[in-house]
Amino acid sequence: MSYSTFNRKQFDSMKEPMFFGENVNVARYDQQKHPIFEKLIEKQLSFFWRPEEVDLSTDRKDFQKLAAHEQHIFLSNLKYQTLLDSVQGRSPNVALLPIVSLPELETWIETWSFSETIHSRSYTHIIRNIVNDPTLIFDDIVTNKEITKRADSVSKYYDNLIEMVNLYNTMGLGTFNIPGKGEVEISMPKLKKALYLTIASVNVLEAVRFYVSFACSFGFAERTLMEGNAKIIKLIARDEALHLTGTQHMMNLMASGKDDPEMAAIAAECQDDVRNIFIEAAEQEKDWAKYLFKDGSMIGLNDQILGQYVEYITNVRMQAVGLEAHFETKHNPIPWINAWLVSDNVQVAPQEAEISSYLVGQTDNNLDDSDFDDFDL
Amino acid sequence: MTLTYKQDAVQIQEVCPPTESSNANLQEQVHRVTLGKQQILVTEDEPLLAQLERAGIHVEYQCREGYCSSCSIKLIWGQVSYPFEPLAWVQSGYLLACCAIVKSDIEIAFFD
Repeated sequence: MSYSTFNRKQFDSMKEPMFFGENVNVARYDQQKHPIFEKLIEKQLSFFWRPEEVDLSTDRKDFQKLAAHEQHIFLSNLKYQTLLDSVQGRSPNVALLPIVSLPELETWIETWSFSETIHSRSYTHIIRNIVNDPTLIFDDIVTNKEITKRADSVSKYYDNLIEMVNLYNTMGLGTFNIPGKGEVEISMPKLKKALYLTIASVNVLEAVRFYVSFACSFGFAERTLMEGNAKIIKLIARDEALHLTGTQHMMNLMASGKDDPEMAAIAAECQDDVRNIFIEAAEQEKDWAKYLFKDGSMIGLNDQILGQYVEYITNVRMQAVGLEAHFETKHNPIPWINAWLVSDNVQVAPQEAEISSYLVGQTDNNLDDSDFDDFDL
Repeated sequence: MTLTYKQDAVQIQEVCPPTESSNANLQEQVHRVTLGKQQILVTEDEPLLAQLERAGIHVEYQCREGYCSSCSIKLIWGQVSYPFEPLAWVQSGYLLACCAIVKSDIEIAFFD
C-alpha cells in the first residue's frame, strides 16, 4: 500500500521478493538475498568515468569535413541516444524504487540510473563540441517524427507500470473508475505482469536499441573519424553491457520462480509478449537504419548490413533470456564491431591503461610469509 | 599485476557425462571440443574463447570478463569450470566462452 521512505515494520529482508514485498527500510548490505546485485554495483562503481576526460577537439574538425548525409547519420544517432538515456536516467528510479523490496537491488537501481545520467551528460559534451547551437539538436528530439515514434515504444511500459503503482499506493487493490480511463483493475497479478513487461522492454532497450548507434559511431572511427566520440561510446557500451546483465538477472530470477513463485507463472504467461517486444524493437531499429541512410550510406555500413546486425544481436539477446532466436541471421555481418565494444582496452586516464575496472588506491594485502623469502637483511 | 584465482569460487557445470571420453592415454589437460563437424583441441591453461579464436572460429564477444553474456555458447555435453563466478547469468546448458575453462571433452553449438 502507501509507500514509506522508512518502513517501521520488523521483517526479515532476506525473505522478501525482489519487488512488491515490504518497502525497504535499512539500507544494509551485510546480508544479501541476491548477491549478484551487490557485485553489479561494485563493477559499475569501478567503471566510473566522466565525459570531460575525453578530448573532442579533433572531432569538431572531423565533423565539419563529413558529407551532409554523414552529418545526418551522426546527429540522428546522437538524438536517438539522448532520448534513450533521458528515459533511462530517470525511469528505473521512478518506476522501480517505490516497489523494490531488497536493499541491494534498490541500490543497484540507483547506481544504474546514475550511470545513465553520465551518458546523457556526455551527449551534451559531444554536441557542444561539434555544433555552434546545441538547442537546434535538442529541440528536434521532441518534434522529429522518427524519434518520437520510438519514444512511445521505449516509455509506454514504464508509464503503464508507474500509473498502476500510483493507483496501488493511493487506493490499494481493487477496480477503480479513473476519469478518462474508465474502469481500471489493480490486482497483484496485473501489477506483476506490468513489472515483468517493463523489465523486458528495458532489457531490449539496452541490449538491442543502442546497437545501431554504436555500430555507426564505430563505423566512423574505423575510418579514423570522430574518434573522441567513439571513445565515449565505448565507455557507454561498457556500462550498457553491465546494465543489460542486471535486467537479464531480474528476468531470469523472476522466470525461475526462486525469488517469487507467483512471478514464474507470470513470466511463462508473458513469454509471447516478451518475444514480441524483442521483434518489434528489432523491426523499429531496422526502420531506423533506413532513415539514417536515406540520403546515402557510409563506407562499410548500409541499411542492409545494419539490419542484419540488428537481427543477429536480437538473436543473441533473446537467447540470453531463455527465448528461441527469432531471426535467420546467425552470423555477425560486422564482426569488427567487437574489437570496438571490447572493454579491456578502454582507456580513460593514462594510469588506467591496463585495466578498465581500475580501483583507486587499491593495494594487495594478501601477503604471505613466503613472499619475503628472497629478502635478506 | 597478477590475479589470484579464488578456489572456492570454482563451479563445475555438467550437462551429461561425456561418452567414453577420457579413457585412452589422452594427454593430461588436453580436451577435444566438437563444434558441428569441426574438432579443436584445447588446454586448461586459458579460457575457451581465446583458443577458439586461435583456431579461426569467430565467436561473438564484448566484455571478455564474464559480465555481458555475448559469448554465451550452447554446451551440448561435457564439463567446464569458472575460475571466477561470472557476473552474467549463465543459462543451464550454456557456457560463457570468455571465462570458461574446459574440463573434459565437450560438444558446443552456436545458434540452432
